[in-house]
Amino acid sequence: MTETRIQPSGKSASPGFSAPLVKKQRNPESVLAFYMLLNGILVIAVSALNLFKPYVADTFLASMFGLTLISLFHLIILLPVIRYTKRGGKAPWVPWLAGLLIATAVTGNLFALLLGLNLLVKHRGQDSLAANRWADVWAKLTRSTMPMVGLAFIVFLFSVSICSFFTFDYAMATENNYGAILQNPSLAYPLGTDNFGRCLFSRIIFGARISLIVGFFSTLLPVVIGGLLGAISGYYGRRTDNIIMRLLDILYAIPGILLAIAIIAAFGANTVNLIIALGVGAIPTFARTMRANVLLVSTFEYVEAARALGAKDSTILMKHIIPNSLAPMIVKSTLTIGAAVISTSSLSFLGLGVEPHIPEWGNILKLGSAYLESHSYLAVYPGLAIIALVLSFNFLGDGIRDALDPKVN
Amino acid sequence: MIIEGAKNVVDAARITRDQRGDTSFSGILSSAFAKILINPSYRIVVLALGAPVTIFVYLYYLLNKSKDSYYALLEETRDQLLQAGLLDRLKEEIRQQLLYKYSFFGQKVSQRELERQIEKLADIRFREAVEEETSRKLQTGRKQKLTFTTAFQSLMEQRMFLLLSFVPGLLMYLLILLYSNPYLKYIFERFVMSLFVIFGVSVLVFTILYLSPMNPAANILGETATEEQIANFNHVYGLDQPYLVQLWNSIKGIATFDLGKSFAGNEQVTDTIARKFPITLTLTLISLILAIIIAIPVGIISATKRNSLWDYTFMFIALIGLSIPSFWQGLIFILNFSIKLHWLPATFNPQNWLSIIMPTIVLGTTLTAAVARMTRSSMLEVINEDYMITAKAKGLSRRHVLMKHAVRNAIIPIITVIGLQFGGMLGGSAVTEKVFNISGLGSYIIDKQFIPDIPSIMGGVIYTAITISLVNVIIDVLYAFFDPRIRTKMKQY
Repeated sequence: MTETRIQPSGKSASPGFSAPLVKKQRNPESVLAFYMLLNGILVIAVSALNLFKPYVADTFLASMFGLTLISLFHLIILLPVIRYTKRGGKAPWVPWLAGLLIATAVTGNLFALLLGLNLLVKHRGQDSLAANRWADVWAKLTRSTMPMVGLAFIVFLFSVSICSFFTFDYAMATENNYGAILQNPSLAYPLGTDNFGRCLFSRIIFGARISLIVGFFSTLLPVVIGGLLGAISGYYGRRTDNIIMRLLDILYAIPGILLAIAIIAAFGANTVNLIIALGVGAIPTFARTMRANVLLVSTFEYVEAARALGAKDSTILMKHIIPNSLAPMIVKSTLTIGAAVISTSSLSFLGLGVEPHIPEWGNILKLGSAYLESHSYLAVYPGLAIIALVLSFNFLGDGIRDALDPKVN
Repeated sequence: MIIEGAKNVVDAARITRDQRGDTSFSGILSSAFAKILINPSYRIVVLALGAPVTIFVYLYYLLNKSKDSYYALLEETRDQLLQAGLLDRLKEEIRQQLLYKYSFFGQKVSQRELERQIEKLADIRFREAVEEETSRKLQTGRKQKLTFTTAFQSLMEQRMFLLLSFVPGLLMYLLILLYSNPYLKYIFERFVMSLFVIFGVSVLVFTILYLSPMNPAANILGETATEEQIANFNHVYGLDQPYLVQLWNSIKGIATFDLGKSFAGNEQVTDTIARKFPITLTLTLISLILAIIIAIPVGIISATKRNSLWDYTFMFIALIGLSIPSFWQGLIFILNFSIKLHWLPATFNPQNWLSIIMPTIVLGTTLTAAVARMTRSSMLEVINEDYMITAKAKGLSRRHVLMKHAVRNAIIPIITVIGLQFGGMLGGSAVTEKVFNISGLGSYIIDKQFIPDIPSIMGGVIYTAITISLVNVIIDVLYAFFDPRIRTKMKQY
């Protein structure tokens, strides 16, 4: 798959050869740098809304200062980075800059991480296949708008979830405040307050954390387990394959949400059980995807070559087959995170998910649904947040699929 | 031993059958019998099912084996080949091969070891050659080696034996007949698979609930319950029995539609499920039909007008449909159509058909979106095939090309998605039912899970899974009839 597709792209080492083949395009680094800056500013803006509150968190001022500094840094390096990527060649300061960028990703600004990695890859040169493929995928992904917007929203929520530890006051979202019950949206409470006087905006911000965590881990679990089972079953075939896939058929026959309800009924409703319950149900689909890929990849010549060279089965599987069959798994897992976010909030809405005292989008909606007639915004806004996040994952998933698909060129 | 040469026999049987043009009942039976014995798992089942007949035939085979001309012929051929010096030639050949091999790999082997290996390999090759030659002779002489299979076949072709063995071997004959027809065999295998899946689902769900650290007795009897009361409760519902006994009782209960009484409410679990299930199923089916009617044309339009405004709009709406949580969609519908506009009732009421509109739309949204997207991508794959260009070049109308050539070929993956989504809908109806206050199976399971009422949850989940498995079996069987590619593949194996 990867081996045969070394095609010249805009950043190839021999511009004279590749330039006529490629239409004019924005280069991925400048796009990433732009989104990185945008994300930093958005996070600062959202955090700044806290200024209108009666009081702010103790770490608010310090962290706002830090965020502003980081954004300034991003702004300053914007031009040199764009100039460097246009011109190409070697520059001794690039690894240092990339390192600094990666360090600023602790604020959750994953675009900084991606930009840093891209710069490093570019600096090292295009000689390795993996680097070439990485650059290729990013070039395609940054070319299309919707996936990037999706990624931007996900990264934004991720950064806000991390920064909210310092810039938002958790008490605003959880402590009852009977002086401000069911208030309409105002500057102090941008989305109004609920029946306990808690700030809906802060609650939604804190809810993003739970949704991202549950979505990520309940996808990671089946990716690892299902992926391994599928790889083993596809590689060894025959009896191993039969046994594993037939056992997974059993799991496949139970609808995911019912299996999750059964598991939660048995072990109680809390976040860890929720992650396990949602994850277990997705194992068979991932195993099937992986198996189909491994079956395909196993027929390629380089696998045969590795076997002829006397490589062990485990080495062939881990070094040659699994890395080359990961592409569809990445696409599928991006889409699954979106589905998991929906399932999480659905189960919480039914009282089967995250513990009711934690501000999670489903929990917020559950409270809000009781005030549908009088204060419908309590149910509308958390729902919009869920849709936006899931839509972003779906856009991103579609975009990654197109970027990884060798047929779409 | 029993299957010795069964493969040859199949070929031989086919040849003789073709020569005679034998399509009689016993002919079909005997050729299918030879085929079935090649398949290891079927072999065991068939021989066990017809145990009385099988044992009789085996005895008959042992009796006749000594009288068979095959062994005499084998001996004769062996002598002939020995005299022709085949063994020595083989030895020389193998010696060369081994020497080359060892020198290539740079290995050192002692003379004795080498001789031993040559001896062993030559012996195997010689025996193979003898057997091959003998069976060739037999075939030219229109004779067959007497094996268990041929003994059985020759007996089957006698009407007397068939009649006598019909009653004790009925099951075996039925299985053989099933095997002789590829469709029946496929459907049968599919059913056996889903039986296995249903059994596995029962074990899995029961085990999950059995491992539960929850204490339903304490939850139902309240905090004031004494030790004795709890022990009595556990005894009444059989919760004090060992795992395997409880598992067996549950599986028996699932199969006989008698899961006993629920913990809370003192009602027969299966009766309640039977009362609630039709509502869920009706809701799901209506949504399914609605979704298909909307989604497939939308997908086709998107694919034929690729990258047009229609395409972008439809696919964007579909993506939103995939991203919208059904409970929120339900709440928004209630807010707009019931509370603000007063068009539709907010809760479900079996007497009022208007009240089913919102739940079906909410439940069908995900499916509609998924099917529309699948239809589009499946159509796009088909639309660039060579046969589409051919059809256009023949001068067929655009409509005809689309309907007869594109849709028919694109429909298979769409049916798969519908089958898969049907399961998700049956499960997902739990959420929709809760929002619209429908007393279906899904909301029943959710109501019962807080206790947890083990028989009710188990029954609800397992019967839903059984329905899904059966629907998938039906879809798979339908495939076999619709798709000529699958039909040919089925005939080949």
